[in-house]
Amino acid sequence: MGGADEAAEGMRRLYPFLRGPGEGTAGERAELEEQAVRSTVTKAGEILRLRAQVGEMHAERLAACARDMAGRFAAGGRLFTFGNGGSSTDAQEVATLHLRPRFGRPLPALALTSDVAVVTALSNDVGFDVVFARQIAALARPGDIAFGLSTSGGSANLVQAFEEARGRGLLTIGLAGYQGGRFAELAELDVLDHLFVIPSTSVHRIQEAQTTIYHVLWEVTQHLLDGPAAPVAGQVARPGAKAPADAGHE
Amino acid sequence: MLGTSTTREAVSEAFARREPAGRRLAEDAERITRACRAMAERFHRGGKLIVFGNGGAGTDASHIAVEFMHPVIVGKRALPAMALGNDAATVSAVGARDGLAEVFAHQVRQWAGPADMALGVSPDGWCTSVLKGLETAHELGLFTMALLGAEGGAIARSTAVDHVLIAGSADPAVVKEIHVTMYHVLWELVHVFHARTRPDAQGGADGRG
Repeated sequence: MGGADEAAEGMRRLYPFLRGPGEGTAGERAELEEQAVRSTVTKAGEILRLRAQVGEMHAERLAACARDMAGRFAAGGRLFTFGNGGSSTDAQEVATLHLRPRFGRPLPALALTSDVAVVTALSNDVGFDVVFARQIAALARPGDIAFGLSTSGGSANLVQAFEEARGRGLLTIGLAGYQGGRFAELAELDVLDHLFVIPSTSVHRIQEAQTTIYHVLWEVTQHLLDGPAAPVAGQVARPGAKAPADAGHE
Repeated sequence: MLGTSTTREAVSEAFARREPAGRRLAEDAERITRACRAMAERFHRGGKLIVFGNGGAGTDASHIAVEFMHPVIVGKRALPAMALGNDAATVSAVGARDGLAEVFAHQVRQWAGPADMALGVSPDGWCTSVLKGLETAHELGLFTMALLGAEGGAIARSTAVDHVLIAGSADPAVVKEIHVTMYHVLWELVHVFHARTRPDAQGGADGRG
């Protein structure tokens, strides 16, 4: 049971405030539960504040990004989404949200982790850094949209995908956390058209705020495309918003 | 320009619309804590987490599974979890032959072990396939949980579901955003309780499965 001993030792190092195995006394159990409840309340407060902060700091940029996306979709553009790990599930959510929305206009979208055969073939034969870039090279047209999500902003396969997308005339949109990582450099170099950095160092809070970013982008894009009314009070989709390329532009 | 500011207002309004549900999340802190204690105990007994949902909730199921399988925080141990929407061949095979309502129940029947947990995700609580998956899991003796929204639907009222967490919104997008925080906290607290409960009572049952 060397592995189990090692794991237990790892746990002791990770949680020095815990005295080792065993449930402890009833009082200690109650204290642990109280700590857990307090920790949950704290985190709920953190994401509430972070979301409000992100809403203020990115409002103009989100509006501009939604206008660009609506313009691309109106002109026949398609959406390609990508990310690693948990962010790949967000990429999939973004794709399915556009492709099969609960309301509004279905729009063509593909998550580049959907095809496990392609992902593993490219990873095995060429390298993991090209898994998204190669798919964009094969599938994308000028006028399409590349949408990548990362928490660090440092994923090499996303960086390559954005560079490939830029070279092919796609609209490029990146989501990151921390200080933006390499995505911030890409934005400086105009490889990224739109970058949304979530100012947090918690991977979890970053992902939670990013979820709101892409939901709001989708919702406002639908408005600009003159789809059926979303649950947004007081917003009226303008006639003529379906005009190619300029949809959503005032 | 007027249109430009209108678009910007739509963005701000969308963010503001999320606040009430975000505030309500803290009220669920005790319920979340209780669920985590029960989950940690199951992981200790060698149980695994089986997660499922449809559409966007299916991507949450995948996110939850990878959260446990490959922790983002270095040093946290991997805990066994699987998302039943990941196998598109099986989902479409069961869907085509037995109907979409059976896609999760069928897989639960094949995969469930006695110490396992089933977690269903449904933004409105009315997903038949998620309910059937949870009912099947309950029949097999699994600990059953659901992440829901709106009024909780049929899943919240089902006696087959041991533990329910409901996000306080009827907008499925907002519900998802609350769910993401809920399952991030679930994962973190499961580790806190897992570290504190006896790791080796049965010898080697350390939750790695």
